[in-house]
Amino acid sequence: MNQTVTINISGIVFHIEVDAYEELKSYLNKIKSYFNDSQEREEIMADIESRIAELFSEKITQMNQVVLMRDVQEVIEIMGKPEQYVTEEDEQEETAEKTQSNRSGGEKKFFRNPDERVLGGVCSGIAAYFGFDTIWMRLFFVMTTLFMGFGPAIYIILWIVIPEAKTASDKLQMKGEPINIDNIGKKVEEEADKVNEKLKNINTSKVGHALEQFFAGLGNVLKTIFLAFGKVLGVALLMLGLLLAVWFLVGLFDDSIILTYTSSGVSALESGAFFELVFSSEDQFTIFLAGLIIVLAIPIIGLILGGLKMLFGFSTNNGLGISLTILWFIGLFTLATLAIIVATEHKANEKISAVKLLPSAYHAYALKANEDNVPGELMLEADEFMIAVKDDRFYCNELELTVEKSETDSFELVVVTKAKGKTSKDAMGRARAVDYHMQVQDSNLVFDRFWSTLKEHKIRGQQVKLVLKLPVGKTIYLDDSLDGLIYNIENVTDTWDHYMLGKKWIMLDEGLTCLDCEDIEGVSSSELDSVLTKELSISGN
Amino acid sequence: MKIENTKAQMRKGVLEYCILSILKNGEAYPSEIIDKLKEGKLIVVEGTLYPLLTRLKNEGILSYRWEESKSGPPRKYYQLTEKGNGFLKELEVTWDELVNAVRLTSK
Repeated sequence: MNQTVTINISGIVFHIEVDAYEELKSYLNKIKSYFNDSQEREEIMADIESRIAELFSEKITQMNQVVLMRDVQEVIEIMGKPEQYVTEEDEQEETAEKTQSNRSGGEKKFFRNPDERVLGGVCSGIAAYFGFDTIWMRLFFVMTTLFMGFGPAIYIILWIVIPEAKTASDKLQMKGEPINIDNIGKKVEEEADKVNEKLKNINTSKVGHALEQFFAGLGNVLKTIFLAFGKVLGVALLMLGLLLAVWFLVGLFDDSIILTYTSSGVSALESGAFFELVFSSEDQFTIFLAGLIIVLAIPIIGLILGGLKMLFGFSTNNGLGISLTILWFIGLFTLATLAIIVATEHKANEKISAVKLLPSAYHAYALKANEDNVPGELMLEADEFMIAVKDDRFYCNELELTVEKSETDSFELVVVTKAKGKTSKDAMGRARAVDYHMQVQDSNLVFDRFWSTLKEHKIRGQQVKLVLKLPVGKTIYLDDSLDGLIYNIENVTDTWDHYMLGKKWIMLDEGLTCLDCEDIEGVSSSELDSVLTKELSISGN
Repeated sequence: MKIENTKAQMRKGVLEYCILSILKNGEAYPSEIIDKLKEGKLIVVEGTLYPLLTRLKNEGILSYRWEESKSGPPRKYYQLTEKGNGFLKELEVTWDELVNAVRLTSK
């Protein structure tokens, strides 16, 4: 059962099915839109309608009294679509007739685009005028809104100032397309299609429809904003990824430099040379490098891919992501395994002590550090810790000096060397291989800041601890250059290492006592007097 | 350049001449004219004719009269005016010239 409507064509009444009627109506409207001269148009339309009526009458029989869709389609086929018979000559004549109103044909005009809008269609209108994609214009507005804040104001002004493209010719002018029969016809057809779509989409409830439209609009706004954000994020990811990739490749093929972040800031280390000192074999080092490359490169690849994805919206197959992730974990596992292997080489811990007798003829000694520059090429500097290489040796400042009371009358320096290794024999050998020097010039004791060992011994927790055994009654002067070298020197006043510098200290039975500090506590005045007398007599000599 | 365009251009010029020629033998209503033109494969769709007739009528080359029809709406019967007759004669001369030109050049 189909609904029919009754129509009058050229004075004859027909019953026509609703969909057939819609089709016929849009066909006639389209023909109408092809003729500009109103008087001529009326006449032509009357002729055409009359012919259509004639054709319909032929189809109506006693059995079939209703005009069907099929009939309309047949008639349209017989009559032909206007673009099939409105010839170029007609077009020229008509445009010539209408030159005055049509002079702007082909020129562009600013219009708001009601067909492609989020709010007022300002962005799509401007984009249509300049002929680029609307998304860039919207992105521009979102950016100006986010970063400078004047986006909404401009938008509202433009919304008010720019007229909306209402008619087909407005819409053509908006895009700068020439206003001619073909184009207008196309537009009208498009509009008709749109109206039909809308009619189909109308829901039973009008309120529901309005709400739905509102949320659809809101959704579109959010979607656009998210899309814009996505693009911005995409660009950011891509830039970061490319930057890291460049840094990574430079690090890989150039003098590989790894930046380490320590409490004292960012410092550079030459990775290759450093890790050679850490790993016990060439193979370990190679495996480590491979693991490191995998672990660093995959996130960079991920960033670049992610950025491209967001920017251009293409999709990669999941397999790639999964295999990259698996590969990354394999790299991480390799690094962890290596870390464990290297850790086992730190299992045993040994130390050896060597005693060096110092000349005990003097009453007072001056302690200084050798201020010479770093031996060889500095390779790692992290906080106070430094490692340098020269020829087949490496140098390290992992060193501390402390002063204790000598149990005997002899003035001596105990050099304690510590090292780690797989076995105690291994650790012992390594400790023995550490070479440390200090010079004695009369009453001046000059300490090197670095100890050294052969590269082949690797970095395995080597450390040098110097203990100066000072007999009671002797005085030492701690030069400022010792800063960072002296460590935890016990004294009667519990003065901190740093504040002990630049002062004279005497070893008493109670412990190390400051001679020239202004606020000495814990020393009886008689003792101090005797000390000071002694001191004066020394300097008098 | 599309061959279809060229064909359409050639046909269009001849179309007016043919319509006037049909009407030379007496008045006719559009369906009759269409039948003859379709026979000669000059037009494919009927819509072509109506704007053309209207324009020729507006230029005073054709005139029409209404006549009742038994099977449908009233019909417009077109005929040549005096001006139309003169117009047709000129076209006939031009046509002969054209045919001559084509014969000569395509030899």
